[in-house]
Amino acid sequence: MNHVGIAGFGQTKAVTTRSDVTFPELVREGVDLALAAANMTMDQVDAVVYPLAPDALIGVNNGERWVVDAIGATGKPFMRVNNGGATGMSAVLTAWTHIASGLFDVVLVAGADRVSESGSAQSVLNKMWDVGYERTVPLNTITMLAMSAQRYMQLYDSDEVDMALVSEKNRYHASLNPYAHLQSSITVAEVLASRTLAWPIKLGDACPSSTGAAGVVMVSERYAKEHGVEVAWVRGLGQNSETLFMGDRVGPKHVGDHADADALAVAFERAYRQAGIVDPFAQIDVAEVYAPFSSVELHVVEAAGFAPKGGAPQALREGKFRLGATEGPVVNPSGGTQCTNPIAVTGTIRVGEAANQVLGRAGAIQVDGARVAVASAIGGDHQFYSTMVLSTDLEEI
Amino acid sequence: MTTIAAPAFYEQTWDLSYRHALGETTSRFLAGLAEGKILGRVTEEGRVIVPPRAFDDRTHTPTGDWVEVGNEGVVEMFTIVAEPFRGLPDPPYALAYVLLDGADTALVGYVKGIDLSDPAAAAGKLKQARAVVRFADEPTGTAADYWFELA
Amino acid sequence: MTDSHPSVAVIATATTQLERETTRSLEEMIFDTTRAALAGACLTIDDIDAVVVSGNDETDGRVISIMAASGPSGGVGRDLTMTASSGDHALVYGWMRVLAGQSRRVLVVGWSKPSEGVDPDHAELVEAEPYLLRNVGMNHTAAAALQASLLQDAPTGDGPVVAWPLTHGDLPVRGDTVHALVLAAEGSFEPGIEQAWLLDCGWATGAYELGQRDLADFAPLRASLDQMAARGIAPEPGAWDAAEIGADSEPSVRAVADLLGLPSRAVVNASGSLADVITAPHVQGLTRMVSAIGRIAEGAASVAGGIGFHGFAGQGATVAVFAAQKGAHA
Repeated sequence: MNHVGIAGFGQTKAVTTRSDVTFPELVREGVDLALAAANMTMDQVDAVVYPLAPDALIGVNNGERWVVDAIGATGKPFMRVNNGGATGMSAVLTAWTHIASGLFDVVLVAGADRVSESGSAQSVLNKMWDVGYERTVPLNTITMLAMSAQRYMQLYDSDEVDMALVSEKNRYHASLNPYAHLQSSITVAEVLASRTLAWPIKLGDACPSSTGAAGVVMVSERYAKEHGVEVAWVRGLGQNSETLFMGDRVGPKHVGDHADADALAVAFERAYRQAGIVDPFAQIDVAEVYAPFSSVELHVVEAAGFAPKGGAPQALREGKFRLGATEGPVVNPSGGTQCTNPIAVTGTIRVGEAANQVLGRAGAIQVDGARVAVASAIGGDHQFYSTMVLSTDLEEI
Repeated sequence: MTTIAAPAFYEQTWDLSYRHALGETTSRFLAGLAEGKILGRVTEEGRVIVPPRAFDDRTHTPTGDWVEVGNEGVVEMFTIVAEPFRGLPDPPYALAYVLLDGADTALVGYVKGIDLSDPAAAAGKLKQARAVVRFADEPTGTAADYWFELA
Repeated sequence: MTDSHPSVAVIATATTQLERETTRSLEEMIFDTTRAALAGACLTIDDIDAVVVSGNDETDGRVISIMAASGPSGGVGRDLTMTASSGDHALVYGWMRVLAGQSRRVLVVGWSKPSEGVDPDHAELVEAEPYLLRNVGMNHTAAAALQASLLQDAPTGDGPVVAWPLTHGDLPVRGDTVHALVLAAEGSFEPGIEQAWLLDCGWATGAYELGQRDLADFAPLRASLDQMAARGIAPEPGAWDAAEIGADSEPSVRAVADLLGLPSRAVVNASGSLADVITAPHVQGLTRMVSAIGRIAEGAASVAGGIGFHGFAGQGATVAVFAAQKGAHA
């Protein structure tokens, strides 16, 4: 079995806009930071997988072709992945395959996004949905998640305070993370008083539009051992998809309720099975899970097996999932997607943060003794799911 | 039942202009709106899909019979938009997925005619509410030809 | 391949190619083609453990086109990835998944539906970075002409000049295209049903700026071939019986054929010239790879290479080598 490891993770400090760099220059920053973290140069990289979600947000069709030179990948095997919001992590999974196939030893996944600079992101994202049926109503990422949050509240007798608990935790974590976009903490009261975007989602529940770059360098076991490279080992990975049609996720014949994330649970299960995880709450030390809004983290935590369905709020009230928690995993010690969301690489950042944790490189947000971590990402209208389990060593988990 | 409509095109501009081929299934649903009907199709497993598609993505099989479902149903999920977004309508407005009587999947649409000045109160009215479909007096052949109102 | 990496075969293919599909939506085209591929190998979607798709958002007018394609491609409930850089890369990634032992049978679906756009050239125009290139109206035809201008001094093709020195007859005919293929690991299918073995792939992307590349050098293609030569698994072009080349113009096809150093018996583009075979830029390589598979399946070739390019004037290249026997060596 040819294991694959993450040798390094680099990221820029995420902000609203970066008027000091062009897009290719920003991508270059992410590349340089990733290589530096892995103590490697571009010469040692065999292939590149480039994450880029909608071209429309950067305004260039097949924008990956534009940045290949800035990356330093000219002449190398290069391909781009676009799984919507999950892209940053789907690209990492694709890179894993590059190495596990035996063809390559060192693969770079690096990219960037500048979401706020498109100006009409939600109007663009409206075009994700069905051409004939779903373009005349203003579906966008905010309304789709608002409906999921509303339905979760309805099914599990939950309320906006439960969502605010997630915000308070994540913003506290992000206040310790020098790379996070939103770095000020927030109280539950402040979340509840913040402006409504689409009921029940308020500004205090939502992610920012971020500009940032990030990347990871992945290596084969053979390369790691030959060159003495310390890595975070990939122990399991999984992907799954559910239906595009949110209307199919309600009613007596649905297979996955829009309030839940059952298809994500399947993706977690695939990764857990490979990694030998049977009790996620007990066996996982850190989880970096993609949740752009507070409400999303509730059902993601449940899909990950850290709480029963509808049980995430109670777990939060008991102090679980927070840096310093005495049992169970710490969820999103980085502040998560809710505090930093450069869409194309948000999934990469989840993997990178998880890798840093098991490598002991997480600095101010380090979870003591973290040995096993899980990362996840979500794309489309809550449609595409990627998961990955990482650990410090290759021993049984 | 309606007769099969000729292929229709939906015009949309997104920096680039498109004339999307809708296919017969979507085209027929849209034609049904002009007759005040909501049509669905039945999957191999017997699920009535609304709005209809030519295939069932759950089983990767073609759908079959056409059925007309009721024009009334239950609000399964909703939101009330307060924030303006460029290129999208002025808020506030309510969106919902309504499971119409006889359908197994819910249909998305605006919910009109509710006082949205107090979103929390409006939310209370919308949750699991009975809703009816209303149709445009002058159909355009697009999904804008229907919306919901509370029953 | 070694014991830990299985041999990979193409066990099913289906193609839809027409100038303009007006009665079916893109999603319906994808569904029909995918079903046909599966049915052709007596499979259903339940026999597939991963799906890899590729489409271009701007051509089709869908943002994040994996979303609408997930249902018709059989991706719902499955591991689904979109490789958006080129339809060719979907084949490559699907192949690597089987090599890695990650999947046993992978469905690969690539498409392009230019008839969705009122002006498909405009969709190509927005591939040009907005600062300089877009102002000069760059698109695939213009870029192909720039490349061809380095390859010959005068027009040689049929029909009127479209973009000097290229004539109408030199250029690919564009239409709505969907390809679906099933790649499978040896042992996961009934021996004998394979259409061709996929021996190896090479791919590379060159510089974006046209001015930074010698467009007549085909460096990304050379890099792709070098990758495979270094591995030594697939026969080199000097041993191919057939080459299917999805270049941007007939002059480029000729230049690539020369570069390959094919044996004199080898037939180039037996499936048809660029003007004969309907395709679209996003999948023009995949179209030729499917043709190469066809040459093997028909018994017309023992080893056939499929070559594709993507981006302006072949910024990127992909090569896939198919054979009637697995593990054939040069």
